[in-house]
Amino acid sequence: MKRWTTKREHQIYSSKLFQALCRSRRTSSSTSAKELHQTADRVLAITAKGTTRWSRAILAAPLTASTNMKKHKKAKVTVHTRLRKPVVNREKRKLPVVERKLRALRRLVPGCRKLSCNNLLEETSDYIAALEMQVRAMTAITEFLSRGEAQVPTDRLGSIGNM
Amino acid sequence: MSSRRSRSRQSGASRITDDQIIDLVSKLQQLIPELRGRRPDKVSASKVLQETCNYIRSLHREVDGLSDRLSQLLASTDTDSDQAAIIRSLLM
Repeated sequence: MKRWTTKREHQIYSSKLFQALCRSRRTSSSTSAKELHQTADRVLAITAKGTTRWSRAILAAPLTASTNMKKHKKAKVTVHTRLRKPVVNREKRKLPVVERKLRALRRLVPGCRKLSCNNLLEETSDYIAALEMQVRAMTAITEFLSRGEAQVPTDRLGSIGNM
Repeated sequence: MSSRRSRSRQSGASRITDDQIIDLVSKLQQLIPELRGRRPDKVSASKVLQETCNYIRSLHREVDGLSDRLSQLLASTDTDSDQAAIIRSLLM
């Protein structure tokens, strides 16, 4: 988890991501934001070196235009909940709020739907730290690119590199 | 551990004890910028979980926005010629 906060990790991720983006630009005419996000997630997962469930789940997910898949998945989940809710209420009278939110959290972290509490904690903390680094790195790349071409003053570099 | 306090939940995979939840929640609280400084007993478990979910979702949205921005920038910038220079600067 600590690794996501090191400068080294940040550099590795941002340069890998940038290279991946340049590569995908060469193969296809334009990169949609969705594909870019997907690439960013995959590079993030690769940077995790297979040590966490969420990273493995991202890499195992198929590379498709995810909009269709997402809609499909959403429909499934909704039906599920509608079928399950009445059953649970009859049996237990209360669907604890905490339980519900735990389930929501499990859905947000990739690959963690059936994870136990302890492991969920580890995965969530790692995932959040990784996401934060992802934001920092992508912001850095954006700033470099919006400044135009190669001329990047060193003081600017210094301030971004010290994150 | 304290089995008298554990309730079986419908989550399917495992029995979650109250202690586990308390543990999870108190640790999660430290990760969420909004809740970091607050005393653990002042923040309810459901609030911590809610804030965690909100935080992850907001991070997702931020990356979405950045992806959008980056895809536009990449389309309009000729990165090939400067690629080496940019990577060098990223690695400094």
